[in-house]
Amino acid sequence: MVERKKPLSGVRILELGPYVALPLTGRILASLGAEVIKVETNKVLDEMNFIPAWSRGGGQPEFQRAKKRVTIDVRTPGGLEVFKELVKVSDVFMSNFRRNILDRWGVDFPELRRLRQDIIIMWQTGLGGIGPYYTYKSYGILVQHMGGVSLMSGEEGEPPATINTSYSDYHTGVFQPVAIMGALLRRGLTGQPATMESSIFKSGAVTAGPSLLDYQSTGRLPERIGNRDRFASPHGVYQCLGEDRWCAIAVQTEDQWGDFCKAIGNPNWCFEDSFSTMTARLENQSRLDDLVGGWTLTRTAEDVMECLQGVGVPASVVSQGKDLNESLHLKARGFYQKTPYYLADRGNPAYDWEQFEGIASANPPKMSETPMDFGHYSNIGEDNDYVFKEILGMSQSDVDKLTENQSLY
Amino acid sequence: MPFQAPAEGVLLPPYRVLDLTGPEGVFCGKLLADYGAEVIKVEPPTGDVTRQRPPFISDVPGIERSSYFLFYNTNKKSVTVDLETSEGQVVFKKLAASADVLIESFPVNYMQSLGLDYDSLRQVNPGLIMASITPFGQTGPWKDYKSTDLISLAASGFMQITGDPDGPPLRQGNEQSHFPGAQHAATAIMGALFYRDMQDGRGQYIDVSMQEAMITYYTDAHPALAYIQRGENVTRVGTNSTLVIPLGAYPSKDGWISAGIITPREWENLSNWMFEVTGNEEILNEDYKGGNQDRAPYNDIITALVIDFTTRFTSEELFHQGQERNLVFIPVNTVSDLLVDPQLDASNFWFDIDHADAGNLKYPLGVFDSEEVTPTTNPAPYLGQDNEVIFGELGLDEAELASLRTRGVI
Repeated sequence: MVERKKPLSGVRILELGPYVALPLTGRILASLGAEVIKVETNKVLDEMNFIPAWSRGGGQPEFQRAKKRVTIDVRTPGGLEVFKELVKVSDVFMSNFRRNILDRWGVDFPELRRLRQDIIIMWQTGLGGIGPYYTYKSYGILVQHMGGVSLMSGEEGEPPATINTSYSDYHTGVFQPVAIMGALLRRGLTGQPATMESSIFKSGAVTAGPSLLDYQSTGRLPERIGNRDRFASPHGVYQCLGEDRWCAIAVQTEDQWGDFCKAIGNPNWCFEDSFSTMTARLENQSRLDDLVGGWTLTRTAEDVMECLQGVGVPASVVSQGKDLNESLHLKARGFYQKTPYYLADRGNPAYDWEQFEGIASANPPKMSETPMDFGHYSNIGEDNDYVFKEILGMSQSDVDKLTENQSLY
Repeated sequence: MPFQAPAEGVLLPPYRVLDLTGPEGVFCGKLLADYGAEVIKVEPPTGDVTRQRPPFISDVPGIERSSYFLFYNTNKKSVTVDLETSEGQVVFKKLAASADVLIESFPVNYMQSLGLDYDSLRQVNPGLIMASITPFGQTGPWKDYKSTDLISLAASGFMQITGDPDGPPLRQGNEQSHFPGAQHAATAIMGALFYRDMQDGRGQYIDVSMQEAMITYYTDAHPALAYIQRGENVTRVGTNSTLVIPLGAYPSKDGWISAGIITPREWENLSNWMFEVTGNEEILNEDYKGGNQDRAPYNDIITALVIDFTTRFTSEELFHQGQERNLVFIPVNTVSDLLVDPQLDASNFWFDIDHADAGNLKYPLGVFDSEEVTPTTNPAPYLGQDNEVIFGELGLDEAELASLRTRGVI
């Protein structure tokens, strides 16, 4: 049987780098059918092998599945030699190491181009690969504060609001496949390769949005209004029955206000003049929020959501892990899928790690003609034989020799 | 459309993309437009509703002056068609026959009610790629549920982990729910184009659920797995960690500065620096030495000392002087800081775009920097500015256009 083509069938991508953004890019391209070879080493393990800490690596399939994972220590002469052979047979090279580190290893861009003239290079950093901060050290969870969104969130005077994740990384990770596929198309049509440099700082700063124009035009900085909205009331999260249970409600039109009142049983306060129009409700929203909160507090978040969505008023439970895991909606769409992972252990090489079962999210785009692959989750180094022997044509004795001296380890 | 190479210095071929999206998907078309696709915004004759959205340039209202519209529609063209009239549908089908991609974010089944669903459109254009970006996707029990930015932030669980542990779940600023779905749709569209044009494939339909896309934007926290493995729900930790001290945001002389001190070496550097500056020996206490979570028992006293230190500097001073000591202080920027940031400037992030009503403003188009390819720099379109040219190409003559215009179809 001839295997059906996938969008990126025949494209080979070489990935060198840890953390969230870059591996996510590789994972998306792998799910679209590219052969993504992830180069890593047992000697310096990506911290992502250990996240979340309580699961010792259950998060890693989100970023590494569908790839071919090989162990090459590019800092050794033997490892660098093999790495360079892979460059020669790859269409794309992507890395998130700083330039001085890549140069130290002998992985400099002019050399890559010499080895493979039309290779596409995606080079990603935290704060920027060129420019005044190029040597600066950074931590992902803090870089989200650089892009401007933290100071648009939460309440005026309060500390900037943080999302408990490396949020800006994801923008970079999902943006980069667009640029890489664009460059592959362009190379296919013009024969010309491209080198592209991206940073988590820049992808985060784009999401600061229209306030950037408003500031230039009026000198006004964005307001911090918490969960409120400039145009809608009631609008916020309201506490419900149970521990840390909340339901978000957003009433955006007069029709929705009427439906909202009816759904909650037309209490007297619904008919007060102070709530009769959107303008009036916005003026009196603190008192309105208290009244709505009084209604939700004696109900479960699920009941509040069903009651309001039943009449077409936008509302949702603030989803917790339990809600997501048990969601009939996500189940109907096949969102979470089972995957093996390996219990990370600093004392032993990855091939000794114990296999365990976890879950990972499916690719959000559902493509009718070429469904994106969930993909097999390889352990670190699981694909050494395939890559070294089948792709590079190395002999068993060469592979053994370089494995023994820890070049391919 | 014939498959053409991109112009010199442009990333994407001039693919024709029909953009029917509202705020849920508007960023998808912008990404493709900024890098060279021919993205045509298809608006109702009264204009896209976001043209009415304040704030306006210089606070003067007008449909060509909304900062929201100007920001999210750079490099797009504009035509007007009333899709709810049968004549409008005929015109739109001709347009769809000429297109490579269609992006929409209408309620589920709305396009079908107009006879413009994918099955109908592929009859006139088998190569068409159509992507729908909707709050909960095209299938499943929640598909018809109503949503807004706040509701999507709640449904995905984003809000569950944003804010203070003692306070309510918090909404992030600038409608963050509108990015993940739009970005995922752009990757799938690029994949589908590559499949169609480089692998001899055909067109296809793409269903993107914003809820699912958003869940994949915080998978390092993995809330569903946490529940399965530990029976616990991941929750808010606030801006400042209670385990790693200091980690979070602290007031500075002129705003906020974020800091992360993880390794023992970093703590040594910071505590010595704090002593130099404040003269307070308490910070050198042996009990506080160590890495990562070793200072957790002394959170209150150390945090007070850190604030006494950070408030003596501006955020910029801490950022740069910290790096000299191998310490990570990251400024908490607001939009005015971004516009003068030397790093963004050096990496070609900003591009000037002149617009007859909005004037010359800097736009953040350089998500990546490249010597070979640069973003295009056309302003957001005037309402219906491309009607004559684009409808003309489809074979509608001036008399027909005039007639359609009189009857409010275009």
